[in-house]
Amino acid sequence: MSQKWIPLLAGAVFLTGCATSNPFSNVPIEDRGGRPAAAPAPLPTEVPGVIVTPVDPGMGVSVQPIEVTSVVRSQRDLPPADEMWQPVSPQIQSPAPQSGAPMQPAPQPLSMPAAIPSDNTAVVALLEGARLDSEQGDLRAAQTRLERALRIAPREAEVYYQLADVKRQLGQFLDAEQVALRGVGVAEGQRQELRRLWILISQIRSEAGDLAGAEDARNAAAAF
Amino acid sequence: MAKKRAKTSSRPRRSSAKKRSIWSFLIGLALKLSLLGAVFLAVILVYTDAQVREKFEGKRWALPAKVYARPLELYPGQPLTLADLRLELQSLGYQLVPAVNRPGSAELGNQRARIHTRGFAFPDEPELPRRLVLDFQGERLQRIRDEVAGRDLPLVRMEPVLIGGIYPHTNEDRDLIRLQDAPDYLVDALIVVEDRSYYSHFGISLKGMSRAAWVNFRAGRFVQGGSTLTQQLIKNFYLTSERTLSRKLLELPMALVMDMRYSKDEILEAYLNEVYLGQSGSRAIHGFGLASQFYFSRPLPELDLHQVALLVALVKGPSFYDPRRNPERALTRRNLVLNLLHEEGVITAEALRQSLEKPLDVVQSRSLQKGAYPAYLDLVKRQLRKDYRDEDLGSEGLQVFTSLDPIVQSRADQALVSTLNTLEQRHGAAGKDLQGAVVVTDPQTGEVLAMVGGRDTRFEGFNRSLDAIRPIGSLVKPAVYLAALERGYTLVSPLQDEPINLRLPNGDVWTPQNFDRQTHGTVLLHRALARSYNLSTVHLGMEIGLPRVIDMMRRLGVERHLDAFPSLLLGAQGMSPLEVAEMYQTFAANGFRMPLRSIRMVTTAEGEELSRYPFQLRQQVEAKHVHLIQYALQEVVREGTARSIYQQLPSNLNVAGKTGTSNDQRDSWFAGYTGNRLAVVWVGRDDNSRLPFTSTGGALPVWTALMKAEKPTPLQASRPQGIEYAWIDEETGLRSDPRCEGSRQLPFLEGSAPLRSVDCGQFNLPTEAPSGSGADPDAGWFRNWFR
Repeated sequence: MSQKWIPLLAGAVFLTGCATSNPFSNVPIEDRGGRPAAAPAPLPTEVPGVIVTPVDPGMGVSVQPIEVTSVVRSQRDLPPADEMWQPVSPQIQSPAPQSGAPMQPAPQPLSMPAAIPSDNTAVVALLEGARLDSEQGDLRAAQTRLERALRIAPREAEVYYQLADVKRQLGQFLDAEQVALRGVGVAEGQRQELRRLWILISQIRSEAGDLAGAEDARNAAAAF
Repeated sequence: MAKKRAKTSSRPRRSSAKKRSIWSFLIGLALKLSLLGAVFLAVILVYTDAQVREKFEGKRWALPAKVYARPLELYPGQPLTLADLRLELQSLGYQLVPAVNRPGSAELGNQRARIHTRGFAFPDEPELPRRLVLDFQGERLQRIRDEVAGRDLPLVRMEPVLIGGIYPHTNEDRDLIRLQDAPDYLVDALIVVEDRSYYSHFGISLKGMSRAAWVNFRAGRFVQGGSTLTQQLIKNFYLTSERTLSRKLLELPMALVMDMRYSKDEILEAYLNEVYLGQSGSRAIHGFGLASQFYFSRPLPELDLHQVALLVALVKGPSFYDPRRNPERALTRRNLVLNLLHEEGVITAEALRQSLEKPLDVVQSRSLQKGAYPAYLDLVKRQLRKDYRDEDLGSEGLQVFTSLDPIVQSRADQALVSTLNTLEQRHGAAGKDLQGAVVVTDPQTGEVLAMVGGRDTRFEGFNRSLDAIRPIGSLVKPAVYLAALERGYTLVSPLQDEPINLRLPNGDVWTPQNFDRQTHGTVLLHRALARSYNLSTVHLGMEIGLPRVIDMMRRLGVERHLDAFPSLLLGAQGMSPLEVAEMYQTFAANGFRMPLRSIRMVTTAEGEELSRYPFQLRQQVEAKHVHLIQYALQEVVREGTARSIYQQLPSNLNVAGKTGTSNDQRDSWFAGYTGNRLAVVWVGRDDNSRLPFTSTGGALPVWTALMKAEKPTPLQASRPQGIEYAWIDEETGLRSDPRCEGSRQLPFLEGSAPLRSVDCGQFNLPTEAPSGSGADPDAGWFRNWFR
């Protein structure tokens, strides 16, 4: 059904394009609270009737660069912003400056997501304690401590790394692998953590006898 | 032959000494009788000894399992307000005082709190009692300072709130204490008031009994009992079973035996834990430890003199002197105890004067914490009964550590109750008898944080979170769409929102309709889900096939049997709120299924680990497919059926969720999550009658009220490997450009985004994009993409 539909529509678009009036020329402009700044400006092209929403934030469009790891959808018709685009560009490696912050209806102060370990002394202390527990062979104690850390900072990849490693040492290979894979999801965008996690997954798999899987994980690690 | 000889030999002896034989007969009889008596006594002795031992040793350990809430972790940077802390401290029975003086007390300021924690013997490592200064800033805890050690601490665990027990069939409850835990004056007061010669008698006190008899004789009625503490203990042992005469007669020998066998301190300790001190409904309050919680909501060692005196006063008659029902009598008797203590020189005149001035200080609500979490305890018990025998749960004194968050629980209770009250007012007669259920979990760990089983949040009966199996309506749709996305559909695949007739196996024809009874022609997949269109969903589900939808639901965590009827696609299947939470948990955890957990660990009474329920998960759906559905679930809240959420909540929460209304509007559902909270709400009626509102009018306001109080962290849907974002034209679903009107970014599996693009003139632009702020690299990047 969809295969039929797409060419048909594409054809229609093509045809209207030929008639030099793109599909949006007839689309009524969204009412955006009646602020003059929001009035769409015609593009300086020869094509009459083509209306493009300007990119210049001064014209009422804000572009919100966000961290590479987050995909945050915006609400289209939230005053006072017309459009809040949040392009996700893989090129951006560091958190973007706050200059393009969204013009949202003054959000209440919110608790921010779990901080990175250097900020969160509690998690640092728990991770350190768990490391000592592990070294002394008390894997159960380490596990308990890491689960405490997980509750406090569930977006901290290192917690998953250590928890997976403890489960590996306990011989719970399937659990260990799954925890590490979850860590991979959490570590998205942190190359070093991703590399360590994939190396750990490779180790878990080879200890569990899954040599092909271990090889896959090794290759995945090599990509970071 | 031997017989004959005996006969012949006996005859002459009898005849020769007739007189002597009478004596010998009498002596023999006496001997036999005394032997019999000795045997009888021995039997009694052995019997009483066995009874005493059984009761003393067996019953001392018949302890109900203790169920604890999660301990509150305090750490710098933690989202916690002073109001939250106050709630927690109240649940723990802390005393709010002008100046902190001992464990279990706290002083709360504007931005600062000073608390003296009690410490707790956690199974992993003990948490010591500490004097802490907590600095708050806004809605965060900023700093924790140990006043005694004079240093900042990274992490402190408060003691966990005891939320309930699992009682044996006799419904006895106990909070075991050791003799050394008894507060000052408790033992002195007991001995002064109940049994002055306790340390010198042999279990019974003849002096005491004769004095009591004399007093009673003179008064002409029963005024004074002569029982020693030992005898009282024995009486208490049999308090719950029948009280027969034989038991009564056995009391004296048993008291003697007990006094011989056990030390005075052992008997006293047993007494402290056994004596009957009150009644809470069907639950008997035994022992000073539990009585302290029952009357004062505080641990026994923290009681003041006047409170200790009241408990001792109650020994004589917990019902007659009940401080809640008969405060005058209780006060008189308490003051009598205080005066006796002074007369005996145990307390000073000053202490007496101060204590006499104090009120009874009994907490009004009979049990501050116990009984406050019936639905959650129900969940915990069901889990425990899978792994433990009933006898063990009721007698072994097990410690059960759960993940219940009392703060979240109280917010969930309040959100449901207040919203339903408002709805009833608004809808008048049509809004009568509304019921509801709420399940709150942590989407990152799979722990159940709170559970509301109905509108009467303290009702220990029908638990709707677990047992109300109701059609889930549109809550099923994300599973249908996810199955389709796995099969190669994209968020912009066009769906047909056209009438459909399906012939069912029984010959009936099923003609589903959209909620607004309209058809919407061709709609893009993400929009069909956000707007919760029925017809396009049925078309889609039938295209991919019911078995695939069922398989997806199973992987998401639905364990019950699912019939492969087309009506499944619109949520005709009944499920409990907890089951729905289990399913949505998998969405929230990027495709990892985490069995929902309410118990973290079970230990023996001594804190030795018996079983733990660790963090476990299994990837059931690839993260990239779940990412697509998460986008659509966020769209539901931004622009779809749940958009009223952002009238109440900050829009940067990025809530993902789905509304659900069952057929004929009998059930109102909402399931949704943020970064750290997932909640499923059901609103409906027990008689299954039609509601005057849909999901947006019932369950959604409850959910919103909960989250408004909860202030959760925003959802961060991290972009997994294999996902790319492309600008898409909203109307056609074709590729577009950020500069084109009506375009938006949508996620796609790499390589699956549409290739064809609309043309809004973006290809005719000058090579350099208009100078703007951060948009330049992106504009270039997107333009390159097309070429």
